[in-house]
Amino acid sequence: MPDNYWLQETDETAGTGNPEAAYILNCTVNGEELSLEIPPGRRLLSILRDDLELTGTKRSCEIGRCGACMVLLDGRPVNSCLTMAYQCEDAEITTIEGLSAAELHPVQRAFLEEGGFQCGYCTPGMVISVVGMLQSNPQPSQSDIEEAMSGNICRCTGYGGILRAVHKAIESGVSP
Amino acid sequence: MLLNKESSGSRWRVRPDGQDKVSGRLQYLTDMSAEGMLTGRVLRAQQAHARILSIDTTAALAAPGVHAVITHKDVPGLNGFGIALPHQPVFCSDRVRYTGDAIAAIAAESDAEAEYALSLIRVEYETLPLLEDAEEAMKPEAVLLHEEGNVLHHTEYRRGEPEPAFRECAHVVEETYFTPRQMHTYMETEGGLFIPEDNGRLTVYSATQHGLMDRRQLSRILALPEEDIRVVSSPIGGSFGGKDELNVQPYGALLALRTRKPVRLHNSRYESVRAGLKRHPMKITMKTGCDREGNLVAHKVRIISDTGAYATLGAEVLNFATEHVVGPYRIPHVEVEGFAVYTNNGVSGEFRGFGGNQAIFALEGQVDRLAERLGLDPWELRRRNLRQYGDPGPLGQPIAQTHGAVQVWEALKASALLRAPETAEVPETAAEDNGKRAEEKRPPWIVTGTGAALAMHGAGLGYGIPDPAGGRLVLALDGKIEAVFGYEEFGQGLIATMEQMLVEQFGFAADDLRIIIGDTDVVPDSGSSTASRSTSMMWMALQRLRPEFTAELLEKAASSAGEPAGNLQLGPGGVWRREGGLLISYTELARGLKEPLVCQTVFHYPTTPQPRVGAHFLYTYSAIAVRVELNLLTGRVRITDQYHVVAAGPVANPQGYLGQIEGGSSMAVGFTLSEDAVMAGGAYVTKNMDTYLVPTIIDMNGRIQVEAIEDLPEHDTYGPRGIGEIGSVHLAPAVAAAIFQAVRKRVNKLPVEPELLQETLFTTQKAVNSYAG
Repeated sequence: MPDNYWLQETDETAGTGNPEAAYILNCTVNGEELSLEIPPGRRLLSILRDDLELTGTKRSCEIGRCGACMVLLDGRPVNSCLTMAYQCEDAEITTIEGLSAAELHPVQRAFLEEGGFQCGYCTPGMVISVVGMLQSNPQPSQSDIEEAMSGNICRCTGYGGILRAVHKAIESGVSP
Repeated sequence: MLLNKESSGSRWRVRPDGQDKVSGRLQYLTDMSAEGMLTGRVLRAQQAHARILSIDTTAALAAPGVHAVITHKDVPGLNGFGIALPHQPVFCSDRVRYTGDAIAAIAAESDAEAEYALSLIRVEYETLPLLEDAEEAMKPEAVLLHEEGNVLHHTEYRRGEPEPAFRECAHVVEETYFTPRQMHTYMETEGGLFIPEDNGRLTVYSATQHGLMDRRQLSRILALPEEDIRVVSSPIGGSFGGKDELNVQPYGALLALRTRKPVRLHNSRYESVRAGLKRHPMKITMKTGCDREGNLVAHKVRIISDTGAYATLGAEVLNFATEHVVGPYRIPHVEVEGFAVYTNNGVSGEFRGFGGNQAIFALEGQVDRLAERLGLDPWELRRRNLRQYGDPGPLGQPIAQTHGAVQVWEALKASALLRAPETAEVPETAAEDNGKRAEEKRPPWIVTGTGAALAMHGAGLGYGIPDPAGGRLVLALDGKIEAVFGYEEFGQGLIATMEQMLVEQFGFAADDLRIIIGDTDVVPDSGSSTASRSTSMMWMALQRLRPEFTAELLEKAASSAGEPAGNLQLGPGGVWRREGGLLISYTELARGLKEPLVCQTVFHYPTTPQPRVGAHFLYTYSAIAVRVELNLLTGRVRITDQYHVVAAGPVANPQGYLGQIEGGSSMAVGFTLSEDAVMAGGAYVTKNMDTYLVPTIIDMNGRIQVEAIEDLPEHDTYGPRGIGEIGSVHLAPAVAAAIFQAVRKRVNKLPVEPELLQETLFTTQKAVNSYAG
């Protein structure tokens, strides 16, 4: 048996039963209304990176452990590698690209100024988690922060700079 | 000085690559795409050790969307790679030696089609005996993994007469230490984009720590002249040594050249685990003796390093460990023997610390055990044996002299953690919560302990290994000051450090600068971005370039503005009059140029004159104290406080320095408490980050303070020493010492197993105790 068996279902065919089956996903990505004809089981991560070329959302563990692919789905942080197209029906999706237009989001600015990143690969997911947390809980306690961010792995910083950035963002009073 | 944003003042700068990183706009090489590109995939071995009887790719080639299926028959040049010894097959032809071995590669129009075609390749194997253990592999009857034998490399170092010296010792401790197969776990897995250009050249967009080395290796494999290959290798989503060796590059390059189409590869996490490098698991046996006063007398060490199926830098890592098991102590009688041994396990190679982590865990463990025998404070025992200014290096070699070892010893001695650990607990990260936590009375099953360790860690590649350095400063025709260096940015902040040096040493504004790295078409050979060497080499290059480049700019300004050069100086935006006022901008200055104004320097990393391959000349010194909380019910350890003292010369970039120590220490926390890429039967049991546990924010919620000692002797000309590795090399023995202080149990195997620390159910024990009482 070829040992690639774990991927018998691929992104292109997953969940359809029939790869040709038409499904239209209607959702909003970064404020833009979209209508995409894709398999209902296609992962949001692939929709963002490959179909929409929004590569700020990163691919890393693909099992929902590392948080590099996090986006906001109706304001809640989710791992886009575990979210399928049909789960995004009528949802408002915000990726890292959608947080800042002309100016950085205050959370992004806090990461920048405090040095809350090194290689930067976990940063989009990390920022999304913090924004998601502060939207529902603008004054989190230390354990709230730890809980909210325990799904985001950073291999470079040891989290020191990240925690300083989070505290700075809280102090600066990020408005939802 | 305690290093932080506040103490750094205006020297704490926003990183030039930061805006794009926090906004998600930065395009990593695995984010790239090209019109009409194909997806590349690699078929890895299904057996850890087997003869290949046949490879049938017919069905795969006929599958929908497939443009190419290639095997060993399709490698035009050398079917092998490896920085030091290019013997790892690009594609195996007759035998596989680990489950990361590549057999074939496919380029197809989509991921799904590549995946499907991969499943159609038929490989027939005849299994061979599996070598899972390095010592088994060393036995004469073991099957040979390579013709030259199963020992990749053997090291020896000897001074004095250890055997008779042991007989004179008052105390001798013997212990065997085991360290885990740690995984780099860079967040961006290996990958990239490979483009065959119309002019016959090949462009490789794929991460590495030394673009020119990749180009050399690819040239051998592809049988293409180096000039026909362009390697673009930054930015990188983490490396830690793990991407220095080739990984997907041969497959992307071969597929692109075969199909004449752009090909993208991006490893899944499992493929990254399976094929990628790890830290060498080592078994280190030590016998160490001292006299009645606590003077170290004799030290005997045997290192067995599991290097896996192929060499990569296994020999060099063993050289490093051989040097670092002797460490910063005066020991008259020493005997070290090391073996790097091939097995059918995953390939081990370069990883932050480079064999130092394992060596220092063992050595510091010995010192602590001897202190216990002597009834002496372990820190005092270190003082009695510590190297002094003027002493040779660990292998008796001349080294650049500093007071580093004594400085870090003294500074740690003065730290609150060593003076009064209980009262030192003022966690800062957690204003409200932790304050409460500290006040709360600890439940009886939580015990605490404090431990410390010390290390000297070599930088650069060492004696006898080409270690070129150099770079170029240019006034470009558009008026930008270009700094062109052959280094790579994998997160460490090298671009930021370069910018900071140019601003602080030359007076340029950040906006004046264009820093160019990571592109073999334009960069000079500055050597590899590894071994804690880049900051030192950039600093030394700028020291060399500064007089000439400054003079050239001032003379140009003088002649175009008609003022004597002596009245002028470099400044932000352009050349300024010494008494004030901008004379001419760099843009205007460049208008008068017919060609760019270029200054370059070429030199070599400083090495010891003693001819011992790999022996180091420049060292960084550090001492660390940790406080741990140990849960007797779960056996889990939490590190609540860390104090690092680092003596590495001037701090070139405070944010980068602090980040390296904090980040390095987090990697060491994983090495000590949770990380092990477990193998069974030649296959990884830990296939992804659900079972391979790197520290999360919760594991790192204790305090970390970093004290930087910047003084160097007046005559020192080497400037800032490397700090990329030192934060990761000595936490393990400090935690082991803290555990011992808490529960009187010695840790000799990492990661610390909770079973070792779990007490019998607390209630039961209490009942027993009260009964006994």
